[in-house]
Amino acid sequence: MADQKAYDPYESLHKFSLLWEKQINDLLFLWTNNKEFVKMANLRTDFQSRYVESFKKNQEAFVSLLNLPTKNDVTNVANLTLQAEEKMEALEEQIWDLQDAVKSQNKEIESVVEVSKEIIKLTKQLKTELIKTKKELADTKDVHAELQEMKFELMKLSNFQAEFETIKGLIKDEKVKEPVLSGAGTGAGN
Amino acid sequence: MAADSLLKEFIPSLDYEKEAKRWTQLLKAFSEPEPKVGHTPRNEVWRKNKSVLWHYPAKQKKYQIPLFFVYSLFNKPYILDIAPKTSVIEGLTNMGYEVYLLDWGSPGYEDKKIGLDTYIEKYLRTAVKRAIRHAGVEEITLIGYCLGGTIASIYTAIADEPIKNLIVATVPIDFQPFIGPDQWAEGLRNGDINIDRLIDTYGVIPPKLVEGMFRAIGAPIYFTNYTMLLSRAHDQRYVDKWRRMNKWTLDQVPFAGEAYRQLANDLFKENKLVKGELMIGNKQVDLKNITANLYVISGSRDNLILEDQSKPMVELTSSEDKTYISVEAGHVGLALSGLFAKIVDQWASTRSNPL
Repeated sequence: MADQKAYDPYESLHKFSLLWEKQINDLLFLWTNNKEFVKMANLRTDFQSRYVESFKKNQEAFVSLLNLPTKNDVTNVANLTLQAEEKMEALEEQIWDLQDAVKSQNKEIESVVEVSKEIIKLTKQLKTELIKTKKELADTKDVHAELQEMKFELMKLSNFQAEFETIKGLIKDEKVKEPVLSGAGTGAGN
Repeated sequence: MAADSLLKEFIPSLDYEKEAKRWTQLLKAFSEPEPKVGHTPRNEVWRKNKSVLWHYPAKQKKYQIPLFFVYSLFNKPYILDIAPKTSVIEGLTNMGYEVYLLDWGSPGYEDKKIGLDTYIEKYLRTAVKRAIRHAGVEEITLIGYCLGGTIASIYTAIADEPIKNLIVATVPIDFQPFIGPDQWAEGLRNGDINIDRLIDTYGVIPPKLVEGMFRAIGAPIYFTNYTMLLSRAHDQRYVDKWRRMNKWTLDQVPFAGEAYRQLANDLFKENKLVKGELMIGNKQVDLKNITANLYVISGSRDNLILEDQSKPMVELTSSEDKTYISVEAGHVGLALSGLFAKIVDQWASTRSNPL
């Protein structure tokens, strides 16, 4: 009894179903895989198209009598909506392009501002250096004036030296003539 | 006494608890309201006509380059966010990716003139631009699933936008191989079947016709999903998964007529994408123009898109970094199981500028 299987015919049913399904489909494949069937199918399609066309025409005529919108009218309205949607989309994309352009311009402006800041900084630096140089130049002028003064003084000194040399020479000359005068002097000394 | 034991051996025992569970859940599966899908938190970034661009923020952002999903025009994209824990989008946001999804929406009769060029030039291109702007990034990764992969590839070939990576899964690129009856394909190519008139009449291909087309190609008779449910109805997790899958399978979207015409004539009939003859607007689509890193994923059990339809993508593009893998999965299973998130992460994690 323990070995006895539980009642479950569904698995077998499924297996048989698979087999039957495959066999039927294979049979249908064989029946339909020929030119005659293809031509018949085409004929059937044409017939179906003709039937649907005439049905549509009648329906359109009937609906127009009742003054009701047809599917074609709805299509036209829907196409108008779609056109509006596409225009909105195009506008949106143009706004994007503008936004992008503004963004890139902003970036450019930012970079120009950055460069300008650098230039201002540099100009300030140059100005400070110029003032410093001017001050130094003024100092140099003072030094130059002092040097000129010193030069003048030196020239004066050199004149004085020349005069001094002349006086020295004169004094020497005086010293050479002195023996004539020394006799009287000696007597007086005695 | 002996007869009694013989009878007991003949009649199999019944697991009453399991059977009660099976039939209760089976009853619930068809009587309860439809399961909720699309649970991952998201924000609307952009909307046009019926299309919406959704943004799924990363739980904790780990990658700079966002992922942009392009789903097929045939189905609704909530298969990528079908259930908690198995959701592809949830998985990727948990892994640290910013995810964007373009939901094409359900076209109405007024959208009958929307062709592939409109979808690509006016919807996808704008959505990609919006996503790039929204994310504040320089590049993006495109992920195309099924026909969404074809659309993503066409777009990448003519894109001015910076597409860094292109991931395509179960993608039809070469339309010469066909999984359905070969005489049907030949009939469409030599003009025995002309669907132009049908498209003109309907304007927008109704969901039932789209569903019928897929059924006819794959399995016209399909009921094993119900027997499978019956055999596993005692498993609550399976029933939940089945209900979500069933909801998605039956939730087809209409297909814009002009796009369907281009798909049938330019892609299927004349295979212009592979030949480099497809025109989108005034631009010629040459897949050689694709230089983005390329990742092509195929499902070895895919019963809709053959591996031979995806493989040529690798040869046709100029990408230096290209990878092709075949995964043990079906066309939808890749997304349904959440496996796709792991496959994408394995490749994209090194190509998405980790933060």
